[in-house]
Amino acid sequence: MLPMRPELLKGHLDALLLAVLEPGPQHGYAVIESLRSSSDGALDLPTGTVYPALHRLERAGLIASDWETVGGRRRRAYRLTASGHTALREQRAIWDQFAAAVTAVLRGRPWPATV
Amino acid sequence: MAGHRLSTSSTSAQAPVDAYLNELSHLLHGPRRRRTRILAELRDGLGQAIADHTTHGRAEGQAVESVIDQFGTPQAVADAFADELITASARRTIAWYIATGPLVGTWWLQLLQPHPWRAGVLGLLAAIPILPLIAVAIATAAGTFATTGRLIRWLPEASPDRAACAAIAIAALAVVGDLAVITLYLQSDASLRPLAIVAISCSAVRIGCSVVALLHATRMRRSSTL
Repeated sequence: MLPMRPELLKGHLDALLLAVLEPGPQHGYAVIESLRSSSDGALDLPTGTVYPALHRLERAGLIASDWETVGGRRRRAYRLTASGHTALREQRAIWDQFAAAVTAVLRGRPWPATV
Repeated sequence: MAGHRLSTSSTSAQAPVDAYLNELSHLLHGPRRRRTRILAELRDGLGQAIADHTTHGRAEGQAVESVIDQFGTPQAVADAFADELITASARRTIAWYIATGPLVGTWWLQLLQPHPWRAGVLGLLAAIPILPLIAVAIATAAGTFATTGRLIRWLPEASPDRAACAAIAIAALAVVGDLAVITLYLQSDASLRPLAIVAISCSAVRIGCSVVALLHATRMRRSSTL
């Protein structure tokens, strides 16, 4: 699968990061790896874009972080907050609508789909 | 940077990582605590990534090279963090004014109008003519805090440049306000009693801090627009 350009993900990165953190707490590098593995390598984002995005989500109160010491090294683990869970639900609904509308236009199908 | 070492890697792997983080540390501008945390987090991430690569059979030298390439150049990483650091710096400056404002204001209120409820709005304005400036500063601080913090889920988020401008404006208003009350008091015929000395000292300290905050915020804003 072709890797996606980071600018294509603009506006969707927040939702992707929230989704990756939904199953449980993860540290920054694990978040990047989860994005990569769950998209079969398509979402291979530069690390420099992911860490600041996580910090911004924390500032917005959608995720929280805890520092722990593992093997003598300080590690920061991120977890979803209650607001983050709510935001993820909203983002999923928005994405479903957006994806259906774009697909309808690109494929030349009427939208909203009538059964 | 505090020495957190890669526990699973050799010295040959440590040196390029140290050099990378050292270069990055010189390119990051913002609150020291935030920068230290960013560097600690990236050090851990680099260590994890290198361990991951070597576990999958890559030579350590290759793994280090590949991971550093994957993380991006120090300049690219610093650029990516610049917005967050500018916003963090602006919020910290504004928080400082929110915390110290009442501490300084209380002394002046006691000195210039000890009975604000009896004086009414006009009486209060006559005694403390900088009240409109304080109102503007409070509104700017509240607006910037709301649009750079948890409320950005519902409110339009302020850009880092706008947050920095707000911090600059609040610091400038504080300088003008403090200088104005000191000048007004010294020009009046009132005696220099202990309360006045405390109020003037508090304002003088805040003027000094405000000048430093102004220079710092202006420098950060300029570096982000270069």
